[in-house]
This record gives sequence, C-alpha cells and structure tokens, in this order.
Amino acid sequence: MSRQELIGPQGLRQDGRRANELRKIKCKPSVLSQADGSSYIEQGNTKCLAAVYGPREARQKGQVIHNKASINVELSLAPFSMSERKKRTKYDKRLLEIASAVKQTFEPVIMTSLFARSQIDIYLQILQFDGGIIQICINAATLALIDAGIPMLEYVCACSAGIIENTILLDLNNTEESFDTPELTVALLPKSEKVTLLQLDSRLQVNEFENVMRTAAKGCKEIYEVLEDATRDHIKDLLNRSNPIN
Amino acid sequence: GRGCLDYREVIIETGVISQANGSARCRLGEGTDVLVGVKVEIGSIEIDGADEEVAAIKAKRGRVVCNVECSPIASQQFAGRGADDFNNELTQTVDRVLNGPHGGLDLEKLCILPGEECWVVYIDALVLDYAGNILDTIFMTIRAALFNTRVPKTTVSEDKEVEISGDDEEWERIEGWEQVPVSITLNKIGSRHVVDATPLEELTTEAKLHVMVSKSGKVCGIQKSGGGSIEHSLLNEMIQTGRSLGQNLIINLDKILHKEEELMVRNSRVGKLGFFAAT
Repeated sequence: MSRQELIGPQGLRQDGRRANELRKIKCKPSVLSQADGSSYIEQGNTKCLAAVYGPREARQKGQVIHNKASINVELSLAPFSMSERKKRTKYDKRLLEIASAVKQTFEPVIMTSLFARSQIDIYLQILQFDGGIIQICINAATLALIDAGIPMLEYVCACSAGIIENTILLDLNNTEESFDTPELTVALLPKSEKVTLLQLDSRLQVNEFENVMRTAAKGCKEIYEVLEDATRDHIKDLLNRSNPIN
Repeated sequence: GRGCLDYREVIIETGVISQANGSARCRLGEGTDVLVGVKVEIGSIEIDGADEEVAAIKAKRGRVVCNVECSPIASQQFAGRGADDFNNELTQTVDRVLNGPHGGLDLEKLCILPGEECWVVYIDALVLDYAGNILDTIFMTIRAALFNTRVPKTTVSEDKEVEISGDDEEWERIEGWEQVPVSITLNKIGSRHVVDATPLEELTTEAKLHVMVSKSGKVCGIQKSGGGSIEHSLLNEMIQTGRSLGQNLIINLDKILHKEEELMVRNSRVGKLGFFAAT
C-alpha cells in the first residue's frame, strides 16, 4: 500500500474518517476491584486498561524523595495485542521509554508535594494495539488518577497528529503511523493550555509544525470533553447509588 | 453467604480481541478477571533431540504454547519482578495439562505438512484482577477462548507452498476444545474444604488441591499447593468432590458459551459486560 492510498479520493481515510476526525472513544473509570483507581479506554481499535495504586509507602528506599511523592509507571503489552504474536517483557526498551515519557508528563501535574516520601504507581496494560500508544496511555492514566482521588492540577489529555501529502491528519492509527509519517504527539492541560509532553517521530517541515500542533491541541480538547463526561457520569452514578431516595 | 461448594457468579464473554484468532474474558463475581487471547500461527515442527519414536509422533502434530501473565494492575504484589515466580508456576501448570495426553486439543489436525510445518497455537492468559481462585478462572477462560478460536484453512500446493485461505467464512473451529479440562481448586480450611475462595479465605487456607477434570469426568491432573498437609481420607473426598463439581461446571460453561454464540449468529446485540461495556 502506498502513502497515497491512505487518503482516498473523497478525502476519506482507510477507516472512513475525515482528516480531522478523532477515532471513536469509549471510556469508563473504576473498572477494577483491587486498585485504588482504575480506568478502561478504547480509542478506535486500541484498548488500554490503567490501574493506580497510591499514595502508599515507597517500596525501595532509593526511590524516596523527602519532600514529594515519587511516581512509578509500568507499561505492558499483551502478547495477543498486535497482529503478530510477540511476547514482550516489561523491560523492553520501547516500553520503558514510553513509560518514562508518561511519568514525565504527570510529574508536574500531580500535586506530589502533598505526599512526601510516598509512592504513586501507575500500571498500564495494552490489550489491543492499533496505533496511538502514548496518547492512550496518558488518557487512561488521567482517568485512573482521578478515580483514585489523587489531586492533580488539571486533566492531561493527549492526542497525535500527522501530515501526509500536505493533509493534516488527526489521531493516526497503526497503518498510518507505519509509513514514516511524521507524527506529533501532544499532551495538553486543556484549561491552561500548557503542554506537558511533545514528541515527534520522523521529519516535519518547520513551517508546517504550527498547523500540526494546533490540530493536535484541538484534538486534545475534544478528548478532554469525552474524559470529563465519563468522569461526571461515573460520579453521578455513585451518588445515585448511595442516595436511593433521591 | 455462599455454601462451601458454591461458585461465585461466572460471567463469560468471547470474541473480545479482534486481532486474535480467538479470545475470551471471564469474571468471577466482582473480583477475579482473566483475559485469554489465542493466536494461531504457522510454525515449523520441532523434533530435534527426540528419539525416533517420539520424533515420529511429533512430526505429525501441531503445537500448543501456553503463557500466563499476572498483570501488575491485578494486585499490588505483581509489580516489577513480584509476579515472575507466580507466573512461572501458573504457566507450568497450564502447560502440563494442555500439552499432556488429556489436554483435549486434537494436535494431529493442526499439522499442515508432516515433518515440516504445523499450526502453533499460542494461548496467552492475562490476569487483570485478582480476587482469589485464579487457576480455575484461567482454565475456564482458556476453554471459552478455544471455543471461540477459528483456524484458517490451508491448501498445500505441489511444490510444498502453504497457502492460507483468506475467506473468513472458511475458518474452522479448533478441534477438541470440548475435551479441554477445567480445574477445581479445593481449599482446606480447618477440617472442611471450600471451593472458589476469596482472598480472605485463601489467607486462612492450609493447603490447596487443584483437580483438573475433563468433560467425561476423567481426572486429568492433580496438584497440591500450599504449606499444609491433607489427610488421606480427606484427599479422596476432595478429589471426588472436585470431579463432580468439575463436570457440573463444564456443563454450565458450555451452556453459556453456546447461548452466546446463538445470539451472535442471530445478529442480535450481545451486550458487552464489565468494563468492555463502556458507555
């Protein structure tokens, strides 16, 4: 398949979306019984489950920071998640790199100074993979952290955007990513418009950067709406269950 | 409030991972959750090192590779290297049963080119939530996932080239899935035994007995774990209980699986359960 076939004649992509359309997002917080906070997110065909434990006592003395909480992120990919079965250990370099990126994204946002000497663990499990791994990890982690009740400055929403044949595409899937397509992943705090993560794969022209960035930022804000709705619905649910008289 | 031999409510869904050849998810009550994905890939037949007799048998069979992983999201104890030993133990147990003589699956049907190529069935189990009784849930989910698995049809051309049929409709169900055993874990607490223990009950268990039972009531494997000991008479009783419970469990599971499949065939909307039923 050549790059030109990624966008059809009517401007529709492989999966029927327009260039600036996000994939369908389904999300739900509080799905696991053991974790302090958890969430499940589906963005198109990519599915991710996140669990948050904490703040709790740090397990390794070396990780203790005297005036704030340390954040630990672990990412695993299920062997059946990609079209070719591949067993990846937790210490696979690519996964470690993404986990580290997620950790750096959340460090300025979580109010770690409230929990000195403790540890917050974020565990991410990818069940099915169809592109957009960093963005779905960040979105899932945001929901799970909110469900765990860990204070944060704001929601963190992430989205990817790329450019093919002069058309800016939002939210790339696996096929679109694999063509050496320049892909910009942005994690944004939607209200204050601060960027906490910026990653670019492949090459992008400097004068196109501004447009791609703006598209990705708009995508982030759309994702924010979805995440916020999911959280509000969940809380309404909880309130209704504890006050049956209402 | 359950009786000693009562299971928690079992919820099973199949076909949850679209990229896998077969998948299933099983949830026990509000707790234990296991996801199994089955992928079928073409691999070469390995007979190196085996003596002539064994090699002759292996040359005509497919292979089954099992893997169990406890995700750190399931419980705090599984983070970092904490799960490695447990994963190993579970993988070995599942592997022994499924690759054993009563594993159920018809391996000869999985052979494509005798001596050269065969289907390799990769069974990957992922534990998503841990609330007791993990081995039973894993076996139940594996059985459901194998029920859901479809193996592509192959044609072998004259110059030994294997072609996979692209037509989804021609894919066949994997043979022998009904013979795959389930396990019943009996926990000895004091002088009585309990089935389907919650984490609290597991903490008070002296010893556990895992009994693997197939559809016909044959006991395919027994394993004892835990630090305590079980008296001879109690052992017999536990095995018999395990056998009858196992057969009942298989009948119930099969009913659920067939019902779900019927609903899907009739194209009526199968409500997704648990977290897959987001929004």
